[in-house]
Amino acid sequence: MLDLETRERAASPERERIVEALIEIAAERGYAETTIELILDRAGLDRPAFDRHFRGKYDCFLTAWQEINEGCMREMLEAFNSQEEWPDRLRAVACEIVDNLRHDTNRASFAVEVLSAGDAARARRDMTMRVIASLIDAGRNEMDDPESVPHTTAEALAGSAYGQVYAKVVRGEADELPALVPQLMSAAVMPYLGVEAGLAELARGFDPPARYRRDVAKKSSPGKSGGTNVPAEDYPPELARLPPGRHGLPREFVVHNQRERLIAGLAEAIAENGYSGTTIAHITRHAAVSRRTFYEHFSSKDECFVAAYDTVMAELRQRVSAAFEEAGDWPHAVKAGIGAMLEFLAAEPSLARLCMVEALVAGPVVVERYDAAIQSFVPYFQSGREGRPPEVLARLSPTTEEALVGGMVSLISRRIIAGKAEELEELLPDLVEFTLTPYVGSAEAAKLAQEPD
Amino acid sequence: MEKGYRAVTVADIVRRAGIARNTFYENFSSKEDCFLAASEFAVKEALRRVVDAASKVDTWPARVNAGLAAFLHYVATEPALARTCIVEALSAGPAAVERYERSIQAFVPLFRMGRKVSSKGEELPGTLEETIVGGIFWILYQRIIMGQAEQIESLLAELVEFSLTPYLGAEAAKRIAAEVPSTSTAG
Repeated sequence: MLDLETRERAASPERERIVEALIEIAAERGYAETTIELILDRAGLDRPAFDRHFRGKYDCFLTAWQEINEGCMREMLEAFNSQEEWPDRLRAVACEIVDNLRHDTNRASFAVEVLSAGDAARARRDMTMRVIASLIDAGRNEMDDPESVPHTTAEALAGSAYGQVYAKVVRGEADELPALVPQLMSAAVMPYLGVEAGLAELARGFDPPARYRRDVAKKSSPGKSGGTNVPAEDYPPELARLPPGRHGLPREFVVHNQRERLIAGLAEAIAENGYSGTTIAHITRHAAVSRRTFYEHFSSKDECFVAAYDTVMAELRQRVSAAFEEAGDWPHAVKAGIGAMLEFLAAEPSLARLCMVEALVAGPVVVERYDAAIQSFVPYFQSGREGRPPEVLARLSPTTEEALVGGMVSLISRRIIAGKAEELEELLPDLVEFTLTPYVGSAEAAKLAQEPD
Repeated sequence: MEKGYRAVTVADIVRRAGIARNTFYENFSSKEDCFLAASEFAVKEALRRVVDAASKVDTWPARVNAGLAAFLHYVATEPALARTCIVEALSAGPAAVERYERSIQAFVPLFRMGRKVSSKGEELPGTLEETIVGGIFWILYQRIIMGQAEQIESLLAELVEFSLTPYLGAEAAKRIAAEVPSTSTAG
């Protein structure tokens, strides 16, 4: 068990070196000819180092692919959120993707090669494709009659854009990608805003991404010098108003009324059928209420999902915040907060799946919330900078906290996807050690992680 | 149809393509060669059926409707071939991408004719037809992957609307998509 935990430890420099080496080698030689020996040679590491992190070549490929997809998803959402209007949002996403492919040719080639690794790699890619389709599909919100466009349209547009981009990357023609953007945008806009609006896209050309990403990083990170200067307004409200600790919360998510029964029903239906396969009939059956009752509370499945997501996240935040505030010093507060999160998710596997996995495929509204939810956990870690000596602060990067939250979420999601939500609490020592190490050093972090509660 | 590119045997291909095993080995040196042949066979056959169905009606939009109906029928009845040409192509590297591109390009001219019907024909994006064909392929790929090949024909109206909208506008496209194609889709 411990061995497995060790292997899954995220974001250690050793592990990153292996992943980077893998991406380079795979880009140069292809999947079939990439060997563990070549990877280790490039990374300057030995076989035990590889075995500490991965079960084999296939595992290593999938891990790298998972991380690239998650990174890509984050960047797409940042791009999408950087603009106000829908066609601008979509254009920002397209430019972002193309810009990345052009400038990181190793990752682009890797994205081609990894698909030879089999169905799991393809399934991961298709999940990202569903997110892209949902960003295109957001165009229907701009229409007088949002239901007038067939639901396959966005899927078709995303897929054909992928095919054209993929072909250019395979042929080593990534330089031609910018010219493709206005063409793809034009075709994507037509079904939603009409032919004229689509033609107008052709004239826009390739808008290189604005520097919004740096702005985001700057906003969410404190300056390096002081260490205590996290602006108060950046704390989530839970932290700012210091709520009294909550005691005696029932372990189960409490179902008070019809609305919450529907939300719980939705979670169960999704756990059974996935988001896209879930119908309103599934939800009402699980909730044991009538269809009419459903429509008294929600106008659509999407609306019910958003309500479910908000409810679950509010509950999760409250529990984390309460645990964090009750604990003594900062390292113990982090441990208590992570513990509360794992306890909640392990006790509620359906809700865990809903908020950590399905949220990514349930459409742009939820995906935006997902992104915001991830960000809301950042300040808990940022407050760990307080009072650290300058040499420690110098080691921390402005994005350390985001990386910590991202790594944590990734580990948790993988467990949930594997159907092992009930075992999430076993991750606690590893997650504590992983998140505390940058602030208190690895020896102290390991000690705190192993302390009994 | 459960098999991927790596698992499909030459026997599977020759049976589907209706070509003798000996003939295959005399002509082709590798599985990739065989796949290319199988793919070309499938594209040619699909194109033949599409043109056949389309030629029975007069106007371009009606031809798209009839041609797509014939195409979807063919894919629904030959999911193994469709898988070779569409599904595997976007997962198996350079040679497969060439196959995929050839498949797309085979159908591009049929849609390009729509530019003559459209008042904006000259201004439409240059890769529009590739986007339409690629989009249809992707939808079919998703259905095949999910084991829903038998539902492919029910997508006809949505895909006709998707294909015609850039040329005719959404309203006219929707109207034509609602018409049942007049030619028989039996192959």
